[in-house]
Amino acid sequence: MSLLWYLIAIVILAIPFAAMVFLPINRSKPILLVSFLIFIVFMYGPMLTMGVLSFQGPFGSMTLPAKDLGSLHWFTELRSDSSLMVGVRDGISKSLWISLVVAAITALLSLTLGMAFRRQFRGGGILFYAILLSLMTPGLLLSLGLSFLLYYIGFDKGQGILGYVPIIGVQAVWALPFGFLVMMSVFNRYDARAEEAARDLGATSITTFREVTLPLIWTGVFGAGLFGFTLALNEFERTFLISGAINTLPLKLYIITSSSVLRPYVYSLGVVTILISFLLIAVFLIVSALTGRKKDLAIEEDDGGSMDASALQAAPSGD
Amino acid sequence: MVISLSSNGDHHALDEARAEVAEAESLGSPEVALAVHATSGPARSPLATLAWIAPGSIWLILFLIAPLLMIVLVSLWQRTPVGFEPFSFTFEAYTRIFDTPVYLNTLRDTIIRAIIVTGLCILIGYPIAFFLARCVKTIKFQIALFIVVLAPFWVAYVVRIIAWLPVLGRQGVINYFLVDVINVVDEPISALFYSTFAITLALVQLYVLFMVTPIFFQLATLDNAAIEAARDLGANPGKVFREVIFPLSLPGVLIGCIFVFVLVMGEFATVRIIGGGTIQSVGTLVNDYYTIPDLPAAAAAATILVAVMTVGVAILLRFSKIREVV
Repeated sequence: MSLLWYLIAIVILAIPFAAMVFLPINRSKPILLVSFLIFIVFMYGPMLTMGVLSFQGPFGSMTLPAKDLGSLHWFTELRSDSSLMVGVRDGISKSLWISLVVAAITALLSLTLGMAFRRQFRGGGILFYAILLSLMTPGLLLSLGLSFLLYYIGFDKGQGILGYVPIIGVQAVWALPFGFLVMMSVFNRYDARAEEAARDLGATSITTFREVTLPLIWTGVFGAGLFGFTLALNEFERTFLISGAINTLPLKLYIITSSSVLRPYVYSLGVVTILISFLLIAVFLIVSALTGRKKDLAIEEDDGGSMDASALQAAPSGD
Repeated sequence: MVISLSSNGDHHALDEARAEVAEAESLGSPEVALAVHATSGPARSPLATLAWIAPGSIWLILFLIAPLLMIVLVSLWQRTPVGFEPFSFTFEAYTRIFDTPVYLNTLRDTIIRAIIVTGLCILIGYPIAFFLARCVKTIKFQIALFIVVLAPFWVAYVVRIIAWLPVLGRQGVINYFLVDVINVVDEPISALFYSTFAITLALVQLYVLFMVTPIFFQLATLDNAAIEAARDLGANPGKVFREVIFPLSLPGVLIGCIFVFVLVMGEFATVRIIGGGTIQSVGTLVNDYYTIPDLPAAAAAATILVAVMTVGVAILLRFSKIREVV
């Protein structure tokens, strides 16, 4: 047993050296590399431990040492018919639907605000700081304030389809600064000449927007929406006091951790949410990588002057 | 998430910000590029401008500004058995929460915790940001590592908090190592979970990314000419760092500090789940008042919290101004 531990220790110690030799990093500061690796362990270690423990057998415990590793028992448990699991699955589907709506709204609001900030306008500074304010507002306070507002107007929390409105509202506010920053960066490297060309040819501003602007920036809009989806899916504190009977997945998880006896299904549930999140990040990266390549091509074409030509062709095809 | 602090809107700061944007984008990370007041669009009518502004503004007013104003208002209204009586102004809620020393003690603990976590985030986050920004040679690899570092941000906070359970629990990883592997202690330390230590550790892990990101962008966009000039003048690497790189990276540190301080001050879930009800923060106290229900007291507790946060941010900004003068 102790020999195994020595082996593991040697492997762990060898990682920094291997990294020093094989990776394109500055070799004069090994201490920084070691601290970076420790940092990665710090960030991912707990999640990894949780992941390992989620693959235990039926008698698995909440802590180490893991029992009967290699079983999918606690993942199949998520599909059982116990009332708890029915509630959990209900939470997952509610979370997914809410996130989808939040994604659409975040994309739309980020797009309109991004368009707005392409020109300076009165009150632009205030609006900019209001967007950033939502990044800085602690979630619980936002939830508290909105619950007061709902109480004041006599709104029944979590009742019917209307009960989703405040949840979607705060989650979109939370995602908005991220989506907005995505749109700002898109517009910062955006070439407005195609729009000018379309306009010179007599296209109305609505046609120009629909036929020229939107096709050029849709990946940004998509990115903003994806931010909205992921952030909404994982949102807890902002939803906490306004959800009423609507238990999203993070709320359900919180209720489980604070009330019932914990079993490893909590871990398998955690693993599932992590996988969903990482999958979404992967989608985002792939899409932005693909469009990034396309943009490079467009710039090359631009040097030859064909970019303007294609814009000219695009414009009259509007109406 | 690099944000310019061009509060007085002078052109120099704006140009710098633009340069940062360009740099940030050349790193290929659109989601974190800095927002400035762009003027790339074609001219348009005031009506069109209004149409673009309206949806976002209305949404922000409804779901951000109005709730925050509501907190202040409710803190000044009278309490009823189930809620509050609108427009019945009184200071009773404030006198109620200051009746016992609980609130003030909790506020003090919360401030101390926020300062400690912010400090730890600088200590841990700075070397990481420095490594990412200045020790990784190719841009592609830099982006890849940055994404690896940033990815946990998209994992649900509740899940990341739960993940500490098998690490810090009575039979968690740390105790397992201490007792069974290296035999330093005979009995597992049961105080690891449900402790200030555990909360601090979890908070640092949750919020350190808010420190790493702005410092990373600040360091990645440094003017290399200044560094090379210092080097040419014979400064050794330590001196270059102390006198050129570090001072130039301070704006990033400042933004990180503001983020971490504010978010930890308002923290609720971590303290509740890991503290297990034995340790309070202003956030958990607000929630307790809310469930009593004593809504005006919850509002008053939250209002004071916001006031303290604002003062904290003001002090941080002030501190940065002094640094600039020196």
